[in-house]
Amino acid sequence: MSPILEVRGVIKRFGGVAAVNGVSLALEPGRIYGLIGPNGSGKTTLFNCITGVDQADEGEILFKGRRIERLKPHQIFHLGMGRTFQVIRVFPELTALENLLVVTTSGYSEARRRAQELLALVKLERLAEEFAGNLSYGQQKLVEFIRVLMTDPEMILLDEPAAGVNRTLLNELLDAVRRLRDQGKTVLLVEHDMKVVMGLCETVFVLDHGENLAQGAPGVIQADERVIEAYFGR
Amino acid sequence: MKRWFPVALGLAAVGLALYPVQATGYGIRVMLQLFMWIALAQSWNLISGLTGYVSFGHVAFFGMGSYASSLLIVKAGWPWPVACLGGGAMAAVLALVIGWPCLRLKGPYFAIAMLGLNEVLRVIASYYEGLTGGGNGLSLPTLDASVQIYYAMGLVAAAVTVVTYFILTSRFGLRLMTIREDEVAAEAMGIDTLRYKLYAFLLSAAGPGIVGGLSARDQGYIEPISVFPLVMTITMIVMVLFGGKGTIWGPVLGATLLFAFQEAVWARFIYLHQLLFGAIIVAVVLLMPRGILGVLQQKYNLPRTI
Repeated sequence: MSPILEVRGVIKRFGGVAAVNGVSLALEPGRIYGLIGPNGSGKTTLFNCITGVDQADEGEILFKGRRIERLKPHQIFHLGMGRTFQVIRVFPELTALENLLVVTTSGYSEARRRAQELLALVKLERLAEEFAGNLSYGQQKLVEFIRVLMTDPEMILLDEPAAGVNRTLLNELLDAVRRLRDQGKTVLLVEHDMKVVMGLCETVFVLDHGENLAQGAPGVIQADERVIEAYFGR
Repeated sequence: MKRWFPVALGLAAVGLALYPVQATGYGIRVMLQLFMWIALAQSWNLISGLTGYVSFGHVAFFGMGSYASSLLIVKAGWPWPVACLGGGAMAAVLALVIGWPCLRLKGPYFAIAMLGLNEVLRVIASYYEGLTGGGNGLSLPTLDASVQIYYAMGLVAAAVTVVTYFILTSRFGLRLMTIREDEVAAEAMGIDTLRYKLYAFLLSAAGPGIVGGLSARDQGYIEPISVFPLVMTITMIVMVLFGGKGTIWGPVLGATLLFAFQEAVWARFIYLHQLLFGAIIVAVVLLMPRGILGVLQQKYNLPRTI
């Protein structure tokens, strides 16, 4: 099958530091991918390049066969790629419901119906009218997660979905991610929690110092000498 | 919204509509200026209260409207109501031209750029004597129309407030607020932030443009320092902050209270007035950064459509 997302030799420099230094990835549709690596290995920067938040200095990014590396974030979003952030970025002085309503381009009543449905999915319907900034950390995380789903994107990038989330909530979140995969969506997630990565992802990419280090099934990656060395040193 | 509120609003509107029948010329001029300040504060609220882009040179649109309308009256012979609308249109065009590059700037950089714009316009108005009369100013033909201008000013103030109401209750308004809340996230969630900011900026410039024209017609004479004063921008900002930014009635409340205060104190104590005005600015920023309605909103969990 042809890849839904293809990253070819992407380089992103900040001053003299190449945060991402020639990374290439290819993701097939309908699968869950993990992106791991030690701190500073370029995971979030790569996310930002893919979603248009940062502009890659070199290289190509193709989404559904279309070059997107020069597009703006809102344009990429409307092609069908949604993301969450490492640090929560809900709109604090908008209600949970409004956080969802601003996202879609569909009609108001349709958007409202979809928003209620998603709030119910994560059991937040009671808090729909509450300001997002007043919700707990975990609840905000859920709002951010379902906000991405408002437009039913084909591809979803999750930046550390498990960080700071309790076990029960986490399991619900992971189930939701699997359901998305079963609906044919592609998921790419950055995660530090190895249990989550190994239990959820079908293919794992490992970055180190902004470069591809390894890729493969979770079991293979876990046993890979280079990966162990990158994380723990020699 | 409580039942009595629309009734009170209707009564106020009728009262204000009938006011010129028995008011003195001075009374009409005072109320006309109040309407002007409401329109200006409300317009500033549209861009800065909603998107968080603090325009520190919003009086530029007022000055632009003043000059454009006056020139349309003096040089092109347009009737003043049409000329004032023309002034609003010119201010909106200016907002488009300036907003396109400047709304890409973030935070203080945008504020400073707007401040610079105002200074540049003032210099241009002083320099091109052939067109604007330069530092000598521009006199308009004499005309006694303060009652008509009173109504026109009132209509503009009401119109900007109504527009604010519709924006605040729409998804367009919510999207403007996402820019204030977190612009990066707004972009990533598919909101074309530049386009939205430009729309808000255009809307926020048109009102001051029209008001600038009406004010010029009312005064009968304009000069660069009288229509591009920095203190006017600061007054707009303080009025909105005092009343409550990002709300519908905050700018109206802030403008009314501060204007009444100015009228009461200004004539009697010119220096004390400036001192007190400065003290109010400091007090608002330190003690009540959300303004009167902002505080009430938080305390009683009121909707933002107050």
